[in-house]
Amino acid sequence: MSVDQGVFRPASVDEAVSVLARLPDARLISGGATLVAMINARLIEPAALVSLAGVDELHGITENPDGGWRIGAMTRHRDVAAERRFTGTLALVQQAASLIANATVRNMGTIGGAIAHADPGLDYPPALVAADAQIEIASGKGRRRLPASEFFVDWYATALQSAELVTAVHLRAASDGVGLYHKLARVSGDYATVSVALTMSSGVAGIATRAAMGACGPTPILLEEANALLSGSPGESELNRAGELLAAAADPVDDVRGSAEYRRLLIPRMLARAFTEARAAIGART
Amino acid sequence: MSRDLPVNLEINGAAVALEVPLTETLLATLRERLQLTGAKRGCNQGVCGACTVTLDGVAVRACLSLTLNCEGQKVATIEGVAADPLIEALQQAFVDGGALQCGFCTPGQLIAARALLSQNSDPSVEEVQQGLSGNLCRCTGYRKIIDAVLSAARSMRK
Repeated sequence: MSVDQGVFRPASVDEAVSVLARLPDARLISGGATLVAMINARLIEPAALVSLAGVDELHGITENPDGGWRIGAMTRHRDVAAERRFTGTLALVQQAASLIANATVRNMGTIGGAIAHADPGLDYPPALVAADAQIEIASGKGRRRLPASEFFVDWYATALQSAELVTAVHLRAASDGVGLYHKLARVSGDYATVSVALTMSSGVAGIATRAAMGACGPTPILLEEANALLSGSPGESELNRAGELLAAAADPVDDVRGSAEYRRLLIPRMLARAFTEARAAIGART
Repeated sequence: MSRDLPVNLEINGAAVALEVPLTETLLATLRERLQLTGAKRGCNQGVCGACTVTLDGVAVRACLSLTLNCEGQKVATIEGVAADPLIEALQQAFVDGGALQCGFCTPGQLIAARALLSQNSDPSVEEVQQGLSGNLCRCTGYRKIIDAVLSAARSMRK
């Protein structure tokens, strides 16, 4: 490993993990979009930096033999936003990436950096929960995978343990259906006030829907009970009930983007809009 | 933390060897060590866009880039792209259209607009709005900036 005094430039995940294990106060740096903003705000002062730029396996999007996808942790938002192979139910991942901040920040920020930060206002968390993505994590003991719904555990907190790092996001093969990500923000480029991520596919038993709400609690909100209401042959009463359940499960904050009460009002409305759009798109294809 | 560390960059075409603290931003290096003050320090949080420069040809926030993490990369600031035909066209359009007042955001606007036009030579109004949405201006109300970018795009297509 090339050691540049306080800057470590590992060439492999194993090397990066061993630096983290030896230096608990070191911070990983990928695109810098989050870490450097926190340094500038004097929220953190890292003792050493571990640059992940030279770890080849963290870069790029690859298709697995089963049609699923591996998005390396260092893949920039720009590249996910431009990924036209995420079709059908996976389109919401591309849509979420395209709505992160602005073009310049999308040139910098990475999917691993974003989800490891776990700001509830980010676009990826609800999209990855709705897509049932798996997060690949490396430590000195090897690799493990967690569903996105278990990876995000609290405000700015993830299931990552000390000396672990996110190495990739895995997406299952797209179903022939619809994936949508809707974001309500005060202006283009702002964090979401509330967002909704939704996948819908149709089969012999009617439609199958999976919905996650973002920016209205510490972690994305996905309820199996709401998804069950939105699947099969749901009518207006099921849609309304699902919206009520999600709003009741929300734990939004009052902040400059809106009051908690406002966010609770938005949840059923944004769910209904996304659901209706997805159903119309499914109907148009069948 | 006070110990400086070596880093090698190429800035506006010239090789530069520096020693900087671990958490010094590229913006601080450019402005305070190299007196390249075209990139401005606005929010220092990556929101306002006044510090936009290019790193290996890609527009980035200098305030969110650590100098030590740019080892071996090519930095271009507004001072280094003055002869670029797209920058020249944009500057002329900004002057002709009065697309600035105080000028603080203008270097960042120009770099972001250049990144947009280098990928899309005929953008719509909406595409210009999206392309420049990360660059705040508190003087113009944006209308004249958008018009100037559209005008520069037209002049480049001739």
